Amino acid sequence: MRPRLFASLTTAGTLLAVLCLPGSTAAQAQGGTAAPPQGGTAAPPAGRGAAPAPANYPPYQRPVSTFVPPRTPDGQPDITGLYLAIPLPRSVETPLVPLPPRQNRANGEFSYSLNERPKLPEGAIVRPAGVDPADGKIPLKPEALQKRKEIIANQEKIEHLDGRVLCLAPGIPRSTIPAPVVGYQIFQKPGYVVIYYEQSHLYRTIPLDGRPPLDPNIRKAMGVSRGRWEGNVLVVEVTNFTNNFENNWVIGAVSATPGIPAESLTTGHGIPHSDKYRVTERYTPIDANTIHYEAKITDEDVFTQPWTLAWYAMARAPKDYVPVEYACFEGNAKNLMLMTNTDISPIRVDVP
Amino acid sequence: MNKPVARTLFATAVAALIAGLTMTSAQAQRGAGPGRGAAAPASGTYNGPRTPDKKPDLNGIWQALGTAHWNLEAHSAIEGVPAGFSVVEGGTIPYQPSALTKRNENFQNRLSADPLRKCYLPGVPRAMYLPFPFEITQTPKHIGMAFEFAHGTRTIFLDGTPHMEDLDFWMGDARGRWEGDTLIVDTVSLGDQTWFDQAGNFHSAALKVTERFTPMDANHINYEATIEDSTVFTRPWKISMIIYRRLEKNLELLDYECAEHVYQKLFTEKTRKP
Repeated sequence: MRPRLFASLTTAGTLLAVLCLPGSTAAQAQGGTAAPPQGGTAAPPAGRGAAPAPANYPPYQRPVSTFVPPRTPDGQPDITGLYLAIPLPRSVETPLVPLPPRQNRANGEFSYSLNERPKLPEGAIVRPAGVDPADGKIPLKPEALQKRKEIIANQEKIEHLDGRVLCLAPGIPRSTIPAPVVGYQIFQKPGYVVIYYEQSHLYRTIPLDGRPPLDPNIRKAMGVSRGRWEGNVLVVEVTNFTNNFENNWVIGAVSATPGIPAESLTTGHGIPHSDKYRVTERYTPIDANTIHYEAKITDEDVFTQPWTLAWYAMARAPKDYVPVEYACFEGNAKNLMLMTNTDISPIRVDVP
Repeated sequence: MNKPVARTLFATAVAALIAGLTMTSAQAQRGAGPGRGAAAPASGTYNGPRTPDKKPDLNGIWQALGTAHWNLEAHSAIEGVPAGFSVVEGGTIPYQPSALTKRNENFQNRLSADPLRKCYLPGVPRAMYLPFPFEITQTPKHIGMAFEFAHGTRTIFLDGTPHMEDLDFWMGDARGRWEGDTLIVDTVSLGDQTWFDQAGNFHSAALKVTERFTPMDANHINYEATIEDSTVFTRPWKISMIIYRRLEKNLELLDYECAEHVYQKLFTEKTRKP
């Protein structure tokens, strides 16, 4: 292997591993409880070392945008372009058991910034992405919580390891959760919106023509998308997800802090799903540069009720931004060996 | 009729159906051997649909047919592999002697050595003629190509963005331009880890691929790729074939998540162990 190819792939792979490996030093969001939210009814700020009470955030209000995007030649609101992920200000969920604050954790979960990260828009409330139910907790059924505990407690086993570390397609909405690789390219062509994710060269084609869903026997790791424009808001119903591995988690941001119980996670790690899993996404252009994202998650077998994530997700990339290939799987065998003592390098599969 | 011949004829019939053409068997035979039959259409003959910026409209789902993904060169059938014509101009790839030895070793070791069997990205031009559909999304500044195999993508920059330096990419670094109705794409920085086919045809990191996409009509693209790599070959050489628009109603790309197959194999083996 040519040295520089090798170097670029292993660097990226190792970075991903470090960021996602429980036990790594990558920062884990603890701000959902440690810092008072701006503009909300905050719990009193906790001093260093004290266990803070969970914060109370104001009820989520879907942003109402008066921005009218220009139109594409076929009349769609024009959101075409290159975007970067806006960091989650307070990770995903409010933990059931508050975390003790950790010292010397500058800049929360995004201190590792690979790119110049876009900022939250003016006036946005700093809060976890989980906005419904209002307590910021993921409404897991008891058996799903049990499953989550098992998955989180066994992260050294490859069968339970974060699917993103295996370089599996992370599905929806996880592909829109900011990751170490954060670029998006939105294309529009007559009848379609197409999204390329820089992360693991994922893509989705979203037809807008009202075509029927696919046969339930056809499953896709990124789901099957059906979209429509509601005014200037792109609404996408995503169904037909694969459910091949326990590693296919619904969400998960950055890394889970080593050794903490599943009840105390703020990152969304270890949430399984069933064949019934489906998502309704809403992409709201807030201004010429910003897209707000909402994902309503439904799975009767896993959750006691539908729940919703929402955050300011995408900011238009600087003019000179060039998306580059992030080939995750190709450089990953060594990471998996390191992390799980499992050697996938001798495996060969049939291809047509 | 033996099996490989039946398969070839079947593929030809599918090609004819997809193309929506009525062909005599003699014409069909020529169509099945693009290296022999596909003459590059004269420029200025394209009468198909155009985008708002007046370029030939390549939006849609496409797929090459034939046996190039097994072997670019002429070959008889072997187990699981239909016979096929060469897609190489002049018939054979002009290897340097030591490189030809290496190619022959690759062929012997192909079941373990083919990077595709490790689920690595196929590279260019191999991605273009894998037996999977791919989808083109065309804008004035970028042309996106999304491949069903291992959800690979290419983004071809048409806006004058310069090539990047000091990085290699499995799918290369692609820059394109329109010359009349022909899309010309220069791809470099492909590394040395990909093959051209399952027969072990290979290249070095010096590879440069120049592709010409010349639409013949709304549903056919004459595809040519010139391969330059002075480390491995004695001269530049060219492949050509026809890429067909997939016309099935409501067609969409599905998944071939190759990496999942690796993990499925791993987990099955782990379960089987005592």
